[in-house]
Amino acid sequence: MLRHALHRIMLAFPVMFGVLLIGFLLMQVVPTDPATVRAGPTATPDVIAAIRADLGLDAPLHHQFALYMGRLVQGDLGVSIINNVPVTQELSATIGPTLELMAASLFWSIPLGILLGTLAAYWRGSLMDRCIMAVSVAGVSVPVFFLGLLLIWFVGFKWQLLPFTGRGGPLWTIDGIRAIILPAITLGGVFIGPVARMTRTAVLDVLTADHVRTARAKGLPERLVVLRHALRNALVPVITLIGLQIGFLLGGAVVTETVFAWPGVGRLAVGAILSSDFPMAQGTIIVLSLGFIVVNLVVDVLYAALDPRIREA
Amino acid sequence: MSATQEAAEVAMPQRPGLLARLLREPAAALSLFLVVALLFAAICAPLLAPTDPYDNDLTKVMQPPGSPGLPLGADAQGRDMVTRLLYGLRVSLLMGFVAVLIGGGLGAVLGFLAAFYQRWLDGPVMRLVDIMLSFPAILVGLAIAAIFGPGIFSVVLALSVATIPLMARIVRGSALVVMRLDYIEAARATGMTDARLIWRHLAPNCLSAIFVFATLRFGQVILLGSALSFLGLGAQPPVPELGAMASEGRNFLFFAPHIAVVPCILIFIVVLAFNILGDALRDALDPRLRL
Repeated sequence: MLRHALHRIMLAFPVMFGVLLIGFLLMQVVPTDPATVRAGPTATPDVIAAIRADLGLDAPLHHQFALYMGRLVQGDLGVSIINNVPVTQELSATIGPTLELMAASLFWSIPLGILLGTLAAYWRGSLMDRCIMAVSVAGVSVPVFFLGLLLIWFVGFKWQLLPFTGRGGPLWTIDGIRAIILPAITLGGVFIGPVARMTRTAVLDVLTADHVRTARAKGLPERLVVLRHALRNALVPVITLIGLQIGFLLGGAVVTETVFAWPGVGRLAVGAILSSDFPMAQGTIIVLSLGFIVVNLVVDVLYAALDPRIREA
Repeated sequence: MSATQEAAEVAMPQRPGLLARLLREPAAALSLFLVVALLFAAICAPLLAPTDPYDNDLTKVMQPPGSPGLPLGADAQGRDMVTRLLYGLRVSLLMGFVAVLIGGGLGAVLGFLAAFYQRWLDGPVMRLVDIMLSFPAILVGLAIAAIFGPGIFSVVLALSVATIPLMARIVRGSALVVMRLDYIEAARATGMTDARLIWRHLAPNCLSAIFVFATLRFGQVILLGSALSFLGLGAQPPVPELGAMASEGRNFLFFAPHIAVVPCILIFIVVLAFNILGDALRDALDPRLRL
């Protein structure tokens, strides 16, 4: 178990290094020179050269990379070109809302997806199965922004039921809850399809397994056979697959945040790219990538902890 | 022909053709029809479109669907929605096609190499694939848009890059199975070159897996590409692209919802059609691939 975890962690290091290297190179190929930007439009070439030397921009590339890594370790991701705010400050303000949105989406979509997938698997081939699978295919085919715009138009604008721009406040306030409902429905809505589909496959696999037949043969009520013997065993692969879909969720979150003006990292990243705020773009992309790698790592290790068969394979 | 082979051929009834198997399932038949119709509309857009996609008529600004001469209304610049949609479909499908072609092609080459030179290439190639897979497509899109600037080029590049590792995995898996078959050994014994062996004997037997995955991937790529364009990172106005059109229409959602909603519906139909067709192709061509 420990060996497997260590092995995965060792593998994650080169990937993280790759992320940081790509982030560094990103700043090298962008068309703007940080020294010129910082010096301002009226600066003389001497001043720009002085700032270049000060920032270490005249050093050889590998030297600059070492400087950059040193700053990263100290949590310094640079300063926004647009508003001069440290990138880490903006990031720490936006990570919370993004995690909040993801959690709120998963909170309702995972249980519902698992329920639908189990029902579909149990009554395989029935009308219900076909309907649930049709909904799930539609769910993976619908653009996130379409769902968001429909909710804004009907629930937010026409029926005036819920707010649809920005975060209403902390989640323990009524305003906070009301503001997160539409974004969470949007993001969770596109997640139900994959969850239902994966659950259905996993439960189908388990339903034909020997131990389920044994459970039936010894006369257990059907409800217990499904819940305790089939679903419980199917949950391990389902949870893993859900973990591996976090990238998909992240993509949805970026779009959802933009549609609902939700103050998260995704919206920050898109805004930075559109306004050519390179340090901010670099910082958001690095942090999102590292976060994603860590989540994958945790899922991977957890999977092995839950299912001994993986470790031996 | 040996006796056993003859007997096997007599005993085995002729399998119905691929098309016949596809058409048996109503959803699959409908999706096939839709895909053909959408491709036709995209290819023939200049012939089918009533006007030019950049022609704006300020007297028609935000006309709702069903107005005289405008079955789907006009957008905020007074451009005919039907024309914009036809051209938008053309641009979106072309972006997706190029991305699947480039990303899928490179991925397939990687997959074949990993499987064929299993001893010394499988490890490195699969590590590379793992590393590429540790970046979700949206991050690839954001990073590439940050480097090259927003635009169609960035989106197509991002979609291609995000497709490479997935296709490499599929092709490797499929090719590894084929590599174990006797006929590959027999072909090798005739002394043909590796390249010829891969191209003539290995690749044809992996085609169904490639084709099924490419179809499914096409739907995902269209969805992702439209999302990137919606965010403003892809096609820039006034280029007609479905995601960008939805994004433009978003500003007028409360006055003229059709400007945003109609392109969204079209994206939905395109992706749905390719997803259903991909599933059906998988079932018909290669049930082993069923997930």
